Amino acid sequence: MLIRLAGGHVVDPANGRDGVGDIWIRDSRIIEAPHGETPDEVFDVSGKIVMAGAIDIHSHIAGGNVNTARLLLPENHRAHVARPAETPLSTAGWSTFETGCRYAAMGFTTVIEPAVPTHTALHSHLELADIPIVDKGILTVVGEDDFLLNLLREGGNRTAIADYLASALAQTKGLGIKSINPGGSVAFADNARTYDLDDTVPFYGVTSRQITEALQQGVMDIGIAHPLHLHTNNLGIGGNVDTALRTLQAANGKPLHLAHLQFYAYGKEGKRGFSSAAAQLAAAVNTTPNVTIDVGSVMFRQTVTISCDVIRQFASVGTAKPRKSVIFDGEVNGAGVVPYLYKAESFYNAIQWAAGLELFLLITNPAQVFFTTDHPNGAPYTTYPDLFALIMSRDLRNKWLADIPKEAAELTTLASIAREYTFSEIATMTRVAPAKLLGLKDRGHLTPGALADVAVYDDDPADRARAFRHAHLVFKDGDLVVRDGQITHYRTGRALTARPAYDSNIDRRLSRYYDEVYGLSRDLFKVPEHAIGVDHAFEEVACQG
Amino acid sequence: MTAYVDGTAVPLEAAAAEAARLLDGARLPLVAGLQTDVAGARAAILLAEKLHGAYDHAASDALLRDVGVLRQAGRMVTTANDVRIRADLVLLVGPRLTVLWPELAERLALAAPPRLSPDKAARKIFWLGGEPAAAAAIGATHIGVGADQLPLAVAGLRAAVAGRKSRLGGALAKSLAELAENLKAAHFGAAVWSAESLDELTIEALSGLVLDLNQKTRFTNLAFGPAQNGVGVLQTSGWMTGFPIRTGFGRGYPEHDIWRFDANRLVDTGEADAALWISAYGAATPNWRRKVPFIALAAPGTTFSYPPKVQIEVGAPGQDHDAIEWARDVASFTATSATTASEAPRVDAVIGLISEHLKGN
Ligand SMILES: [Zn+2]
Repeated sequence: MLIRLAGGHVVDPANGRDGVGDIWIRDSRIIEAPHGETPDEVFDVSGKIVMAGAIDIHSHIAGGNVNTARLLLPENHRAHVARPAETPLSTAGWSTFETGCRYAAMGFTTVIEPAVPTHTALHSHLELADIPIVDKGILTVVGEDDFLLNLLREGGNRTAIADYLASALAQTKGLGIKSINPGGSVAFADNARTYDLDDTVPFYGVTSRQITEALQQGVMDIGIAHPLHLHTNNLGIGGNVDTALRTLQAANGKPLHLAHLQFYAYGKEGKRGFSSAAAQLAAAVNTTPNVTIDVGSVMFRQTVTISCDVIRQFASVGTAKPRKSVIFDGEVNGAGVVPYLYKAESFYNAIQWAAGLELFLLITNPAQVFFTTDHPNGAPYTTYPDLFALIMSRDLRNKWLADIPKEAAELTTLASIAREYTFSEIATMTRVAPAKLLGLKDRGHLTPGALADVAVYDDDPADRARAFRHAHLVFKDGDLVVRDGQITHYRTGRALTARPAYDSNIDRRLSRYYDEVYGLSRDLFKVPEHAIGVDHAFEEVACQG
Repeated sequence: MTAYVDGTAVPLEAAAAEAARLLDGARLPLVAGLQTDVAGARAAILLAEKLHGAYDHAASDALLRDVGVLRQAGRMVTTANDVRIRADLVLLVGPRLTVLWPELAERLALAAPPRLSPDKAARKIFWLGGEPAAAAAIGATHIGVGADQLPLAVAGLRAAVAGRKSRLGGALAKSLAELAENLKAAHFGAAVWSAESLDELTIEALSGLVLDLNQKTRFTNLAFGPAQNGVGVLQTSGWMTGFPIRTGFGRGYPEHDIWRFDANRLVDTGEADAALWISAYGAATPNWRRKVPFIALAAPGTTFSYPPKVQIEVGAPGQDHDAIEWARDVASFTATSATTASEAPRVDAVIGLISEHLKGN
């Protein structure tokens, strides 16, 4: 199958392209314009924006905690408009099927589920396999498990930690390693209610900082592309910018990804002791090039927070709306599911909303800041189109600013920021940089040889959100899956995995440990290659070497 | 492998064609039983959508009692493994727990101190409303309460923990007061129960009790569900449709209603005019009262109170074929390998075959 996308405005910053031209697709790949061949299909995309498919590096779309949220909150997705059901279950609100459809309709072709505990990875992969069209991957959560904490207590043998991490990736079919308030779940089990970077994990005598440093080094040692993905301490608390700044320092010049930074961008100014410190934090990020961040923007609407930061989630049970939460302990990682309503009239929520936008606009390098709402924690991913529109238009921001409490607006710098993202910056932030961060060499750009994941949008300055919500065309692996914002058919996506080599001695140690401690085979916690029941369920991503 | 139409053995293909004819002709087809692995549940739910029908599970009463309280009040929960390695106090609540989960005491390693205990002291184990002999067998202190008194007793326990007076008096009040002191003194305690043997009121009171205890110390729930992948089907339904079982597609999109889509109600009122009964694990049979024509995908040798129109014998997940199932042991899904692999067809394969014979295909 030979396809020509003719005469569009091609935005491909990886190749320095930002102008009118053609894109050619043969089967699943982008190719050079061939000589003397007639395409099987030509799409006239003149006046449209042509980009690679977008990549979401942090969105909680699948797994036990997400499913608990579905069961807890039937009212969140009760009413749903019937559409012609030519694609199975695409009318099911908040289902895996709907997730694939809506992401694809926005031109996203790869999505990463960032919080999979080592003991429930099979559940996550089963759900991911039922998300059609897009490819996906998981980040494996470590840092609370007794086995690892014992390694650290015994002095933190660097080789053993690296082997442990590589083995955890193999066990869970993960793409990267994440740690969440490292040591916090263990501290909560021991009845701690707050937990900071230099607090010591009960029993094990190591601090959150030491766990972070060991994991950061371990991830570098196993040679996967994605640096340690860190959800640091003190999320959501006034004055926590101090924690974020200390965490940036704690990276020690080495690669680190700091997740949903907006939730750490709070100062203590104003009479309520809560203000945006995003400008200060953005300045620090700008001088810490070894660290990447994603924003975790807040948008005003009903949502549910789903997080393995159990200590934080327990603390917010009192603010749940509706008033019901699930707090999960668990042997390797806690978690909490707490519904929440972000309101434009709320002083605090308005600060949060503004802080997210400030981070987007004040971090100068679009390859250092990633586009997320920490779905669904800051807002559902379905608000992405509005968020794109906001960072692309100062006028639109000013309209929204008029609707938030004046007192809040004055405690942020948002009104003073003139910057408007260009399409090229959007493409860097949502295509080029995520592919590089995750080590996906053939994605995020339109170089001949790249995977033919392509999104074509209307160029409509009056309504950017509409254009981003309903892409004009989307190709996945060269297959047209979206036309005029509507899904044409399903295809099966793959889960991307990293499989660094390691000394299997650690597996023997772990097997003995599981026999002794749990009286269960460690094999029970593995995601077998064949388990998903579809061909090519997994795709291996090469390591750095 | 064996398939029958009206009691006569036929090739599988012919049985599937007849099944499709029955389902195609129905106004509201019902998929019920649903005792199958994840692949079977997926196929069944997709079939229900395709038919604009409804689906329910044989163990819905217990599953939805649990979910019902959860979505009203929320909960603190954990896994058996967490209780095993961490809990210094275990409070079992309700009757028949070691019948519902015979390996419970062994799985929680109740006889040994928790691995992560700093002082390696023996666990404190209490059983409120259990059977005296069963409690003795696992080394639990028995606190006798009749099933009908259980909601009141748990509410009384909650009052005692909060330092409030309750309506209870006598010996029970005294032992609950003692128990309350033990719960408050726990470092990391766990209430162990199953919705199979508790009513909503008790579950709700327990959820509240556990939340109250967390004001000062750590406490959580270990709630275990029915065996044979009941929880797995509930979870699969959750991600596929956003809703638990008892969901219908009559309007072209999933609607969940525990009354409207109760399989027995749908059949007994005549709303459902054809049914697909799935029971791959054992001899479970429908207990609706009206003789709706039905197709049975069931374990070999299952006998029904009235004959199915179509009967197809299927293999047992994890026994005849590899399967993904919910495991109580790990509180999540696990991949099980066939113990005695056979050629008996899988539920998902049979449903696939039936789907191929449906009209619009
Ligand atoms: Zn997150």
